[in-house]
Amino acid sequence: MKPLIKSLVIVVVTAVVVHLAVILSAPNLLMAVAFKRLSAEGKMVNQMIYPPRTTEASRAIVRPSPDLAYSSCAYDLSKGPVRVKAARASDYMSVSVYAANSDNIFAINDRQAPEGVDLVIVGKGQVAPAGTAIVVQSPTQRGIVLERRLAPSAEAFASAELARKEGVCMPL
Amino acid sequence: MRAALKLGGLILIGAGLGLVSALAMLNQGMNIGKETVQGWVGSHVSGDKSADPYTRALVARAGLLALTQAETLYFNRTTDEAGKPLRADCTYQLEGGAQPARWWSVTIYAADNYLPVNGDDAQSADATRVAALAKPDDKGRWTVQVSPQKGEATHWISSKNAGNFALTLRLYNPQDGAREDFNSIAFPTLKTVSCPSVPA
Repeated sequence: MKPLIKSLVIVVVTAVVVHLAVILSAPNLLMAVAFKRLSAEGKMVNQMIYPPRTTEASRAIVRPSPDLAYSSCAYDLSKGPVRVKAARASDYMSVSVYAANSDNIFAINDRQAPEGVDLVIVGKGQVAPAGTAIVVQSPTQRGIVLERRLAPSAEAFASAELARKEGVCMPL
Repeated sequence: MRAALKLGGLILIGAGLGLVSALAMLNQGMNIGKETVQGWVGSHVSGDKSADPYTRALVARAGLLALTQAETLYFNRTTDEAGKPLRADCTYQLEGGAQPARWWSVTIYAADNYLPVNGDDAQSADATRVAALAKPDDKGRWTVQVSPQKGEATHWISSKNAGNFALTLRLYNPQDGAREDFNSIAFPTLKTVSCPSVPA
């Protein structure tokens, strides 16, 4: 009986450790996949990308809304802070920043920023230039910025398209 | 030698169980969260830094890059009014009124968490189009049909090829009361209109 109990303990302990390891690492792993997809395999980092209107063919991020115009920027702070700008909006617009562990570390919408958004993301030990209105401290070197603009119709998407193209994501 | 082989085998079995159970956990992400009100499942912690590891993993799996509660409330439903899974071959009617938010939408997602592939370009209803298309009556009530064919519906969401699907309600810039107490929200109601007796 004793060896059987010992065997069971080994199986259960291993199962618990592996189970927890998968659960705990899932956010980081899934963010890494998203980072790759939103940066064209790492070729388009620290720049805004503008995917076309969401359709049934959209497969970059789970559960996309067909009523929003998304823009994104996969950021990498290894060479310094990154500046993000978003033009003002006449309807719902928000800019949110996600760290590499999937945490939503910052969000702002058009009501809080009626003149548009202008922010600087800094990593550990980095400092934003004096006078920067909004400084977002990223706990991780990499992450993703996502801009959403309300665009439930083709016409609304066309005007959101003009506004989002004024956006900026670039190293300081 | 035999002991080492046995140990290896046991560790392998344990690792397999751990992996399978973790993935099973993650794949149940259709219903993120813990509070169900009128068939809609929401969570007070989704997208929050303080969420527990399971919620965090589930959100990453089925709602990566989602917004926080202050910005948006997300609710998901996978069952009809009788608690049965939503089916692509059935016809449902979604009825509601004004939602406690600046803007709202209801979107259909297939079991893989993406929009169903059917060429119909009818994946959602939202506050703006409902006002224009669904002709809300005097009290601001609206109805949207969820079905595999449009039929006579003025406003519909196509469930064609969606399998056992989910409906996600998004409330953008929700009112404080709605955020604090999901029970205060007058959720859209879902009614089954017709359903083939044998699932297609």
